Amino acid sequence: MDGDDFGEETSRRVQVRFVTKLQAPLKVPPASIAIPANLTRLGLSTVVNNLIQSGDPDWNPEPFDFLIDGELIRMSLEQFLLAKGISAEKVLEIEYIRAVAPRKEEDASEHEDWVSAVDGSNPRFILTGCYDGLGRVWDAPGSCSHILGGHSDAITSVSVINREGAESVCVATASKDRTLRLWKIHTEASLNSSATMRAFKILRGHKASVQSVSASSAGDMICSGSWDCTINLWNTKELAADNNPVTVKKRKVNNQVEESQMEEEAVSTLVGHTQCVSSVIWPQAETIYSASWDHSVRRWDVETGKDMLNIFCGKVLNCLDVGGEGSALIAAGGSDPILRIWDPRKPASSAPIFQFSSHTSWISACKWHDKSWFHLLSASYDGKIMLWDLRTAWPLAVIDSHKDKVFCADWWKGDCVVSGGMDSKLRISSGIPI
Amino acid sequence: MGAAGKKEKTTKKKEAKDARGLKHEEAEERVMEEAPRARSEPEAPDGGGSPVDSGSDYEDYSEDGDSDFELSEEDLESGEEGAAGSGSDQDDSEDGNSEEFELSESGGSDSQEHKGFVKTSNKGKSIINHAQDDSGSEISESDQRAEESDSSEDEVPSRNTIGDVPLEWYRDEEHIGYDVKGKKIKKKERQDKLDSFLASADDSKNWRKIHDEYNDEVVELTKDETRLIRRMLKGKAPHAGFDPYPDYVDFFKWDDAKHPLSNAPEPKRRFIPSKWEAKKVAKYVRAIREGLIKLDKPKEEPRFYNLWGDDLNSKDRAGHLAYIPAPKPKLPGHEVSYNPSLEYIPTQEEINSYELMYEEDRPKFIPRRYTSFKSVPAYENAVNESFERCMDLYMSYRAWKKRLNIDPESLKPKLPNRKDLKPYPVTCYLEYRGHEGAVVSISTEASGQWIASGSADGTVRIWEVETGRCCGVWSIGESVQCVSWSPLSELPILAVAAGQDVLLLNTGLGNEEDQKKIKDLLQVEISGTAGDSDEQPLVSWLQDDRHKHEAIRLRHFKTVTSVEWHRKGDYLSTVTPADILVVWYFMTMHLFDGAILIHQLSKKLTQKIPFKLHGLPVTSVFHPSRSIFFVSTKKNVRVYDLLKQKLVKKLETGLREVSSIAIHPQGDNLIVGSREGKLCWFDMDLSSQPYKTLQCHSKDITNVAFHRSYPLFASCSDDCTAYVFHGMVYSDLNQNPLIVPLEILRGHVSSNGRGVMDCKFHPRQPWLFTAGADSVVRLYCH
Repeated sequence: MDGDDFGEETSRRVQVRFVTKLQAPLKVPPASIAIPANLTRLGLSTVVNNLIQSGDPDWNPEPFDFLIDGELIRMSLEQFLLAKGISAEKVLEIEYIRAVAPRKEEDASEHEDWVSAVDGSNPRFILTGCYDGLGRVWDAPGSCSHILGGHSDAITSVSVINREGAESVCVATASKDRTLRLWKIHTEASLNSSATMRAFKILRGHKASVQSVSASSAGDMICSGSWDCTINLWNTKELAADNNPVTVKKRKVNNQVEESQMEEEAVSTLVGHTQCVSSVIWPQAETIYSASWDHSVRRWDVETGKDMLNIFCGKVLNCLDVGGEGSALIAAGGSDPILRIWDPRKPASSAPIFQFSSHTSWISACKWHDKSWFHLLSASYDGKIMLWDLRTAWPLAVIDSHKDKVFCADWWKGDCVVSGGMDSKLRISSGIPI
Repeated sequence: MGAAGKKEKTTKKKEAKDARGLKHEEAEERVMEEAPRARSEPEAPDGGGSPVDSGSDYEDYSEDGDSDFELSEEDLESGEEGAAGSGSDQDDSEDGNSEEFELSESGGSDSQEHKGFVKTSNKGKSIINHAQDDSGSEISESDQRAEESDSSEDEVPSRNTIGDVPLEWYRDEEHIGYDVKGKKIKKKERQDKLDSFLASADDSKNWRKIHDEYNDEVVELTKDETRLIRRMLKGKAPHAGFDPYPDYVDFFKWDDAKHPLSNAPEPKRRFIPSKWEAKKVAKYVRAIREGLIKLDKPKEEPRFYNLWGDDLNSKDRAGHLAYIPAPKPKLPGHEVSYNPSLEYIPTQEEINSYELMYEEDRPKFIPRRYTSFKSVPAYENAVNESFERCMDLYMSYRAWKKRLNIDPESLKPKLPNRKDLKPYPVTCYLEYRGHEGAVVSISTEASGQWIASGSADGTVRIWEVETGRCCGVWSIGESVQCVSWSPLSELPILAVAAGQDVLLLNTGLGNEEDQKKIKDLLQVEISGTAGDSDEQPLVSWLQDDRHKHEAIRLRHFKTVTSVEWHRKGDYLSTVTPADILVVWYFMTMHLFDGAILIHQLSKKLTQKIPFKLHGLPVTSVFHPSRSIFFVSTKKNVRVYDLLKQKLVKKLETGLREVSSIAIHPQGDNLIVGSREGKLCWFDMDLSSQPYKTLQCHSKDITNVAFHRSYPLFASCSDDCTAYVFHGMVYSDLNQNPLIVPLEILRGHVSSNGRGVMDCKFHPRQPWLFTAGADSVVRLYCH
């Protein structure tokens, strides 16, 4: 296997050795081989597949991605070496990983109206919010198990509160009707048809549309950002009825079930943004990140209610997520096609460390992969969802299954991308190896 | 230190070539190789005078040179160890060691050449030189340095007086030479090699000792001398105090010299006239008188007259007052040739087309081809043309035409770079689609979450800015003329002008308390109340129940074109221009004042403005902070004070027909758009004339808008474009507003000859909404 299959005598050859961190069947012999320098990712992928096939005859070829010095190859090997100034004289060590791209497109889940929010943080179900004011819980692609009814206006954001719950899972929805509602979903109770549920708690206090909701990691609090420029913090614990009897309303449903709906005020309010708070994230117990239309990303200390950090962006921000290396990188997108990533640990600089600009319209959602330090996705009004790797400036994969604007996207089960948009469908792209 | 070594006089010894001696000489050799240094030239005899037999000397050493060489190397090392081991003078010896390493590296190769000698002076200054007379670069180098040698070294007398002769002449002798008195200097006894080694091992200063073969003695270099050698090895000047780059001293500085160079008195000849000159002058005078010398030369006539020269530059021009040469007739070209090239011959179609031209534009001469010169007919216009030329020369008025050479670039005003004026709307990212007719008017809600649009299809829609979702549709029934949100964010009431009605709609936005307030506000108790005390009410306030939320219908008697809110959200003004003919009639009757009405929402009152209007009102606007009201007629803008109820100012636009006005959020500047595509900027502090007039659009300007917080303004036009300008107003009254055109926003498609119908800025972002006749609302973001 010294490159005789690629009989191009004119091109230069480089000595390479393929290494990987993948498991046994994907490993290739560590001997160094000479390959033409003008091979691209496809050529390298063929080489590796051939190498694997020589050891394992019934191996199905699979696309791979290649890393040299921690950077993904996105051009021909020769150009890459030239661009990075790497000597082609030595034996080059190329690490290969499985290419991050969706292998399969699942059936779309139809909604009545635009899908505005999606949460895939619980591997057992997908939670979506819709412009018809209903939240939906999907067990599997196409099968809706619960419908969360009660909001009088479009749902703007949904969030799963306690992800580790065994029997029932608590979720929160935010709506343009200025309220947030909390719901309990019994995942075990398998109903043959989708059951309409009602919220066990209504959180009132915002003066304008609630744009975003996020649960704390502990699950006992949620925060919400709104068009009234504030961030409210709420308790999610179900208090006993006698603790606040004033706010309990009794309602009869079909003369059978008596259900109580509590109303509750905000625990505290974080004031500082001057315009609509479009996105909030509560990744650690003490810190809340928020993005706003006043062009800033802020980090709030929950104890003191003060903003510790203020990154000025210059553009209206619509979405925000924190993750990546050390769960510290801030990714945000907004009213321009550029996905920006900041490192708040860098002192005295508010310049983004990465800027990804392959979209052509506003970015509506961005999410870090919760296992990988490098991978994140972004959804845009141009109808595309792009998967990004910090190690290259090009998108790893572009999912353009949506016909119109995409409003929300999230990872599900670690290897799926769920997304909803203006075409009223929840799309699931699965089989993404990360 | 080393004084003893310097003074040491060694006796002559025959066994000079034992290992120890060789070792010393090697050390010398290395020093010499690396640092050829000065020797005393005056004492050196002329080397060329005596024949040199260097070969014998060489052979002598080479007899046992091979075997000794290794030994001497070992000696060297051991010597170094000894030197390093000795506690005294540690610093020195270390320096020496490093020196030795350097030397031994290069000296090893020609360690067998022993052609040098060392001279030692009484004062201890050793001058080492090569005695080698062979031609070689080393020698020439050393000679050069010898010439440059310090004079103090020259004074040192040598013990030996044999001069610069080859030493091998004395090799077989008992003596090495003669001293000053002519006595023989005996050769020193050479020490046993082992003894000398032991001695050197004991002596820490051994590395510093070298053997002066010329004087046959061992010299110990002093610390100063080693330092000197080291400096020369590095290529520096031998003395540390020597400054190679001294400051330049200008000894001949004349500028400030107070005293002359010479103190001698001025000589007499400077004061008396020169006799010789007088003689010479008298001679010339005599010659001129006699005519021997002619002073004015006769003028040289040019041999040839420059027929084609430029008369303009001739001297006549200066001499005569107003001589202007006649313009030259055009010289004949190829086309008048009897046989011009084919490209000059016009085709038949071209000749036919000449017939269709005006007489004046028609070419007077049509080129034709002839086989020979003699077949050319007479030119029929010849007499006529020469007569006309004569008439021109005689009759025509001539004048100098001054041509200005101005770079058009320099006439452009210096404006700041567009990039420095960011942010401003540039790209369209969102479109709001849903209307079926041309979108006539848009309005942004105070918080910036919603926009409303009114269309010619009779509907009003409310859109969510962020997503482009249509959140509400109101079917009015008539073509909507104008929509306007209440400026209060807690009172989301939308005023819609359609036909003869103005509708105040509750949009259903806002929280419960706001909704309650709006519901109270939008209740009319007595239907059909009117504003004034006239019998005939100006406007009837009616409750409208056709819509899902509360609404008030204000029925006017004429078509309403524009609705404007006061900043406090309680008053709104409506403009109802009437038909042109009727206007004329009303104007004569002085009944025209009803064209602009001001309504008060809280009291459900309507009043007409108490001013007489001179012309057809087009639009009106409230001052953003004071109780001043702007009314635009077709030609002028009038500024009224509502409290004092009088005219404050009249702004003369100079435009044919004003279509729209907008006021700067600070209230001192106004822009006016016109139907001829011109935009006027008025600075109210300056004058009633426009401060700047911008001709930007090719068609009617339909609307103009200021941004509430960013220094931006925009105009949109029927040519399907919207222009964005930077309009900075400074708080410093001495500084005029800065207007910079920034961007042309395209994207709308023309429909029925109309382009962009309205433009509005987002209240908080540098974004521009444009409403097009193509039924699309677009959002341009920065």
